[in-house]
Amino acid sequence: MDNAAKLQVIRARTRRRFVFTLITLLLYFSFILNWTALGDSLAGRLGMSHVTGSLLMFAALIVTFILLELVFLLMNRATTRSGEDS
Amino acid sequence: MDAVAISMFLVFVLATLAISYWASRRTLSSQDFYTAGGQITGLQNGTAIAGDFMSAASFLGITGLMFLGGFDGLVLALGAFAAWPLLLFLLARRVRNLGSFTFVDVVSQRLERTRIRVVAAGGTIVVVVLYLIAQMVGAGKLIQLLFGLPYEVAVVAISVLVLAYVTFGGMLATTWVQIIKAILLLTGVTITAFMVMYLSGFSLENLLATAVIQHPGGERILAPGVLFDSPVQVATILVSMLFGTLGLPHILMRLFTVPDMHEAKKSAFYASLFMGYFYLALVIVGFGAVAFVYGNPAFFTAEGQLIGGSNMAAIHLATAVGGNLLTGFMSAVTFATILAVVAGLTVSGAAAISHDLYAEVLCKGAPDARRELQLTRLTTVVIGVIAVVLGILFQNENVAFIATMPMVVAASVNFPILFLSLYWSGLTTRGAIAGALVGLLSSVSLIVVGPQVWVSVLGFERALFPYDYPALFTLPLAVLVMSVVSWLDNSDRAAVDRSNYHSLLVRSEFGESGRPPPMARH
Repeated sequence: MDNAAKLQVIRARTRRRFVFTLITLLLYFSFILNWTALGDSLAGRLGMSHVTGSLLMFAALIVTFILLELVFLLMNRATTRSGEDS
Repeated sequence: MDAVAISMFLVFVLATLAISYWASRRTLSSQDFYTAGGQITGLQNGTAIAGDFMSAASFLGITGLMFLGGFDGLVLALGAFAAWPLLLFLLARRVRNLGSFTFVDVVSQRLERTRIRVVAAGGTIVVVVLYLIAQMVGAGKLIQLLFGLPYEVAVVAISVLVLAYVTFGGMLATTWVQIIKAILLLTGVTITAFMVMYLSGFSLENLLATAVIQHPGGERILAPGVLFDSPVQVATILVSMLFGTLGLPHILMRLFTVPDMHEAKKSAFYASLFMGYFYLALVIVGFGAVAFVYGNPAFFTAEGQLIGGSNMAAIHLATAVGGNLLTGFMSAVTFATILAVVAGLTVSGAAAISHDLYAEVLCKGAPDARRELQLTRLTTVVIGVIAVVLGILFQNENVAFIATMPMVVAASVNFPILFLSLYWSGLTTRGAIAGALVGLLSSVSLIVVGPQVWVSVLGFERALFPYDYPALFTLPLAVLVMSVVSWLDNSDRAAVDRSNYHSLLVRSEFGESGRPPPMARH
């Protein structure tokens, strides 16, 4: 792979990195909503149960982050197989 | 504590000492000492990273915070977890492809080697020492509670044990102690969570309902607002935890213990998987502590204080749901946790001094290997002594709070240097140093004048700065200074720094199989 092709691959990878990073950061900092008036509805109980939207959000964020990593790794594996790393 | 529990403790200590002896016979060079020869697999390394990061601060501290304030304690758990996806997305490949022993190796390939090493190693040492405080306090309190030893004696005993691991076994012993500890901790947390659910009829609803009845705060513990009442306060914690973790030298160092960047990326993913499970289980353990410890007077002093303080809520929960057997197991696991983290930190601190400063700066990259290893071992002893002194000074603080302080420094010094040197062609040595110094001074100063140190440690009535963890302000400040100074830098060195970026970028993405990376112009 020549230098220009390498730079093109790097640009694509960097874009991908930043997209995944941006999604993660948006989700992560949305947790702050729990402490604002906008997040009042999150703090309430879900129906008659003691589980609150805030608790559910915590668990959902952890699972989502793991899934994002998995997608990122699978995308990387696909591009590696196509010879991008050579 | 009964004989079974003490036996578990001793078995663990003896097993880990045996590992150190085994590892010491395989630690012949500095590379062995710092990175276990680069031969750890992705799964092993991911487990060791999880073992390194699921510290006393996470287990004892977050459970303690949930015991005090319910849901709010989870802020630190989310903060501790979310850095791992970003480590995978932004750093794992590039850092692994460029470095050899420490993250300072990465930045010094592009920037002027001597000056940047001195500054970055200084940041590393501050972070390591601050992080050690949290671990020593957690361990000291645990031993004090379990064996009835004076706190000071407990802290010295722990330090001696860790020094035995690190001085002789280096990173190989540290890695295996961390792997074993991660497995034990996950097992212990699973058993505790299972017992909590068993006693709650396997109903989360029952558990939360019991917790609400037992806690003085009642239903407020299920929602935000008990410990933290302002969004800015929460933002300061989240920024510190996220970007601080990405700048922790002992975590970044683990990326070099694997053979290549594929294994490095796998490490980050496995670490996330284990930690995701751990933090989800902590929800049950935390609310379990509220439900089963509050109502039991045996865990409280005559004055109504929790015996051993809130940091010991997790251990009391083990007693409440599993008797002496589970208490002994969880205590041994927690102790192992602390030893493993302290060992990792000590290796990292020793590497900053003997590799980054002695070998690379003083000896210009050509040190006498035997002397370097000797210096490394001497440095571990000095770090151990510092840890003991600071552990005694900060003994009355919550460990989760203390552990966030080094995160602030790492977020304001190490992370911006590392991130900008990997992703911004305009960064110059002058800009990096100016920004790092501003980040270091501002973060340490604001921590000192903040509530945790100014009021709790130094005894003043009111803090001069309202937040404990100022990274929300100091990280942007450091990045701003790095950017402005780099933009204004017209020196010859700045031109070299900028021209080095292209080759570093290609190398960071594609690596260079079979031979070491060519050095940039210095």
